[in-house]
Amino acid sequence: MWQVYFKELTELLRDKKTLIFVILLPILIFPVLFGIVGLVMATTTSKAMEEQHRYVIINEQQAPEFAEALFYHKNFKKVETTLSSEQELVAAIRNEEFDVALVIPADFASRKAAVQQTEWQLIYNRSSQLDFMYNYFDEMLATYTEELQRNTLSQLGVDPANLTAIIKPVELTRVNTAEQRENIGESMGAILAYALVLLCLSGAMYPAVDMGAGEKERGTLETLLICPVSRTAIVLGKFLTVLTTALMTALITVVSLGVWGAIISAFADLSKVSEALASITVIDLMLMFSLLLPTAAIFAALLLAISIYARTFKEAQNYMSPLTILVIVPLMIAMAPGMELDVTTALIPLTNIALAIKELLKGTADYGLLALIFASTTALAAALIAFCVHWFQQEKVLFR
Amino acid sequence: MIEIKGLAKAFAISKSNKLSDTEKQDVRYSDKAFHSVRDVSFTCGDGEVLGLLGPNGAGKTTTLRMLSTALKQDSGSVFINGIDVLQKPIQARKEIGFLSADTGLYGKLTAFENIAYFARLHGMKEATIKTRIEQLFTLLDMHNFANRRVDAMSTGMKQKTAIARAVVHSPKVVILDEPTTGLDIMTVQTVLDFIKSLKDQGTPVIFSTHHLDEVGALCDKVVVIDKGISSFFGSLAEFKQLTPDGDLRQAFLAVIAQHVQQGAA
Repeated sequence: MWQVYFKELTELLRDKKTLIFVILLPILIFPVLFGIVGLVMATTTSKAMEEQHRYVIINEQQAPEFAEALFYHKNFKKVETTLSSEQELVAAIRNEEFDVALVIPADFASRKAAVQQTEWQLIYNRSSQLDFMYNYFDEMLATYTEELQRNTLSQLGVDPANLTAIIKPVELTRVNTAEQRENIGESMGAILAYALVLLCLSGAMYPAVDMGAGEKERGTLETLLICPVSRTAIVLGKFLTVLTTALMTALITVVSLGVWGAIISAFADLSKVSEALASITVIDLMLMFSLLLPTAAIFAALLLAISIYARTFKEAQNYMSPLTILVIVPLMIAMAPGMELDVTTALIPLTNIALAIKELLKGTADYGLLALIFASTTALAAALIAFCVHWFQQEKVLFR
Repeated sequence: MIEIKGLAKAFAISKSNKLSDTEKQDVRYSDKAFHSVRDVSFTCGDGEVLGLLGPNGAGKTTTLRMLSTALKQDSGSVFINGIDVLQKPIQARKEIGFLSADTGLYGKLTAFENIAYFARLHGMKEATIKTRIEQLFTLLDMHNFANRRVDAMSTGMKQKTAIARAVVHSPKVVILDEPTTGLDIMTVQTVLDFIKSLKDQGTPVIFSTHHLDEVGALCDKVVVIDKGISSFFGSLAEFKQLTPDGDLRQAFLAVIAQHVQQGAA
C-alpha cells in the first residue's frame, strides 16, 4: 500500500496540472481572485457614492425647505424641466435626460396645513445593485418630516420640551452580548466552510481521475493488477494519495489566506478582526481539521470509485461534474439564515460539517454534537472506502 | 511450466449495445454475452518458447490476461509451475513476468524508477533491486536512458523499459503480448535476443505476435487461436507440415480456413 502511495505522490508532484490545482491555485489564484473582487466592489461602491445624480423636482414651491436641502446635497444636481406627468418623466429618465424625478403633490402645502398625509413619488431606475438613491432621499425626508412634526405639534400648543418624546416615544438601544469572534464567525464561518469543503473536493478530483481512469487509459492499470499485491492494498494506496492532495489543497488555502490576510491587515486597520481570529485556539483548528479529514475521505473514496468505473479521463470528468452540484447544495443549506447546528442538522452530510466549522469559529460549538458529526461522517467515509475497495475487485468495472 | 486446459471467458453485453449484422453472425455473440475465449488449451514447458497466433480479436489478449491473473476465467484451468492461478493468484503472480500490449509504464517516472517500483511491489529488497536493474540495463542496452522520464522516451526505449520492468523479479515464466509491434529493426533484434536468453535459461516464454518470421526464428511450439478456440496446437515442425513447402504464412491461413470450414465450431 505504501509503495503505491509514495509512487502516486511522486508522479503527482511531477505533474504540472497537480501543481497548478493543488498548490499554485490555492496559493495565488484564490487570494488574487478575492483581491480583484474586493477591488472591483470597493471601486464600484466608491464610484456609486461619489456619483452626482441629475434630478428634477415637480412642485418644489410646495416644499421649499426640502427643495433647498436637495439642491445643496453633494450627490445631486438640479435639472430644469417642463415635464410633469409620470409617463413623461419615466420616458425622460429612460432617455437619460436626468436620473431621478421627485414629484411633490400640487396640494401638499394645504394638506400639510390641514394635518393630512400625502404621498410623494420618487421615479428612478432601480436596476442598479447599489441603490444609494433611495437612501439619500429617505435620510433627507426623515429630517424634513421630523421638522414638520415639530412645527405642527408646536402650532398645536405642545410643550417643546416634550416634542422628542411625542415624536419618538420609544428609543431602542441594542446591547450586543456576542463577542467580536462570534460576530465574525457568524458572518465568515459558513463561507469559510463552503470554501474549505469545495477545495477538498477540487483537490481530490484531478488526482482521482488520473489514478483510476487515467491508469486505464494509459494501460498501466493492468500491469499493476498482476503484481503480487492485493487489490485492496492498491486501491488503499491510491485512496490515501487522493486524500492527501484533498487535505493539502485545503491546508495550503488556509495558510495562504492567513498569510495574505496578515499582509492586508498590515495595510488596513483590522485590529478587531485580528483580535477575534487570535481567540481561535489550536484545539479549535485541530477540531476543524478532524472534521475535514473524514469529509475529504468521503470525496476521495467517491471520486476514486467513479474514476475506476470510467473508461477514459474524459468519461470520469463527465461523471464527476454533477457531483460538484450535489456537494454545493448541502453547503448552501448551511449558509441559509437561521440554520443552526442541532441533532437533526448534525446528521445531514456536509451541511453538518459547514455548520460545525461555523460554530467552531464562533467559539460556541457543542462538543457532543461535534462528536456526533465526526462519528457519522467517519461512518459514511468508511462505508464509501469499503465500497471503493469492493468496486476495485470487480472485473466488470476494471475491464469495461 | 504453463498448462492451460479448456479455458473460457465471456463478457456481459450491455443492454444498450445493439449488435451489428456482422456480430449477429459471429458464433461468439449471444443475447447477453460475448464469449471472447471459448475453449483454449495448450502447454509450454521449461525452456520452450510458444508463439500465440491469431487474427485480431481472436481472443489472444483475453487468454494472456487470464494467464497473468488480471482476469479470472469462467471455466477451465491455468497452472503456472503447478500453481492454480484461480486459487492462489498472489502466489502465481510472483512466478509470472507479464508484458502487456501497452507498455504499461508511468510517464512521469524515469526508466529506473518504473522498474524499481515494480520490483518493490514484488517484495524485492533495495540492495537487490539496484543490482538487478544494473544487470537488466546492461542486457537490454539501457544505460543511456536510465534516468530519462518515460514521457520523453522513444517507442523502442519504452519497450525495453517495459521488458525490464516485466522481468525485474526474475520470473519463472514470461508472457509477452506483441512485444515487437511498432519497434525499429534494432530494437526488435534486442527483444528477440532477450527472449532467446530467457529460453537458454530454461524459462518458458509465451508471446503473441503477428510476425511469423519471429515465430520461425524463436518458437518451439505454436498455438493458433481463432474465434476464441485454440484451433491448432503443436510443435513448430508440425505447424510447418500443414503446407507442402513449410511456409508459416500459408500454414496459418490454412488453420484459419479449416476452422472457417468447420463453422468455427
